[in-house]
Amino acid sequence: MSVRVQLPPVLRNAFGGQRWLEAEGTTVCEALRDLGQKHASLALHFFDEQGQVRHNIVCLHGGGIVRARDMHAHSIQEGDELVLTNALAGG
Amino acid sequence: MGVAVIVGTAKGAAVLRSKDRKNWDMRFELRGWPVTASARDDGGRTYAAVNSPNFGVALFATDDFANWKQLEAAPRYRPEDRGNPEHHRLVAKMDFEGKLKGGGRFVDQIWTLHPAHGALYAGVSEAGLFVSRDRGESWQPIDGFNEQPGRENWFPGFGGLGLHTILTDAKHPDRMWVGISAAGFFRSDDGGKTWTRKDESVHSFGGNCVHHVANNPEKASVLYRQEHFGVYRSEDGGDSWQVWEDGLPVTEMSTGHRCSFGFPLVHDRKSGASFVVPLDGDAYRFPRGGQLAVYRSIDGKTWHPLTNGLPANCFAGVLRGSMAGDQMDPGGLYFGTTAGAIYASDDLGESWREIASGLPRIMSVEAYAA
Repeated sequence: MSVRVQLPPVLRNAFGGQRWLEAEGTTVCEALRDLGQKHASLALHFFDEQGQVRHNIVCLHGGGIVRARDMHAHSIQEGDELVLTNALAGG
Repeated sequence: MGVAVIVGTAKGAAVLRSKDRKNWDMRFELRGWPVTASARDDGGRTYAAVNSPNFGVALFATDDFANWKQLEAAPRYRPEDRGNPEHHRLVAKMDFEGKLKGGGRFVDQIWTLHPAHGALYAGVSEAGLFVSRDRGESWQPIDGFNEQPGRENWFPGFGGLGLHTILTDAKHPDRMWVGISAAGFFRSDDGGKTWTRKDESVHSFGGNCVHHVANNPEKASVLYRQEHFGVYRSEDGGDSWQVWEDGLPVTEMSTGHRCSFGFPLVHDRKSGASFVVPLDGDAYRFPRGGQLAVYRSIDGKTWHPLTNGLPANCFAGVLRGSMAGDQMDPGGLYFGTTAGAIYASDDLGESWREIASGLPRIMSVEAYAA
């Protein structure tokens, strides 16, 4: 599945301010791993030393919130848009 | 020759540049990132360490102070490395799902970067030491330090278990020192294979909460130390320490011990002068009576206050990494407060000027002739 992933603002500078990246995968976690394989710096940001998605990253998908612990099982479809943000963004 | 001052703040880096150390231009770079440390190597490349509770740590590098490129590697522990439970307890405040309590060891901040002998060293929390021999393109853990027995019993300081000080000896590449809050001060004489605590006669309560240590790498065995419990000096590489507080303001600490409290200690190599910023004990952590003051010792024995140009109603702190010297002649000094002001002196502290204000909380300051 080919999807579009929106980077959080602080991660965009490494990509010239680019907001969206293309990724492949059938789950949110697979899409993040694909981006990490294409761009080593993103692997540092998305995954901790245990290989787990960092706990404070969340993904907005299909009108819902996908928490880090659920990303490996959360399915995505061709053409989906995934919005990555951090879980501490509230006031 | 001009000067560049890299000011790491909670929301980016202020890069201040001056040709005469009087008129300054400022750019604000790495926006959105807490910038916790910076360093410049002998080849003129400047590195900045950033961290985020959401997206981990990373390193950026620049050759011109304007164009910053993110490096594709950063210090990381191995999946099998086990963490310190007390450090987990502190950092777990930011860990929604409690997974840190599963026992892994994580790099959650780069506290210091130190170039020496053609390599770049990084001190991190959870406390550890890493080295890069290819200008930050790859990092290796120094296992002799990171895996030493007993680390599971180290007790973290208020900011976690951070390795915040790295010192080296220009004449003896195998000798180095590191300081960890609050595990103590360590020395290796064999290139990092083995380490020994060097805290004898430094006041403690269990572990040693070393705040900052400085030296001149050309006269490396003379060490200048700001401890939680006082200011000390060593003439023998840390084998023995002497209290060094004549002239400093002494405060009763929360334990009842009386000493001089503060965080940064800077040593100017050409003049031999040292500088500290005393705060009103560990209960308050702001300048006594609100008078921001730098204290200087030129003779290595007595301290004298320097307040010309510093504010009288300042109730902000100065963190351990937030003061630096440019090592020019005469030495320029720079420090930043937790209230976002930067003060500079181009005459070894005799007079000070505010060169920036309104910045986010200042976490690190480094200065370079450039």
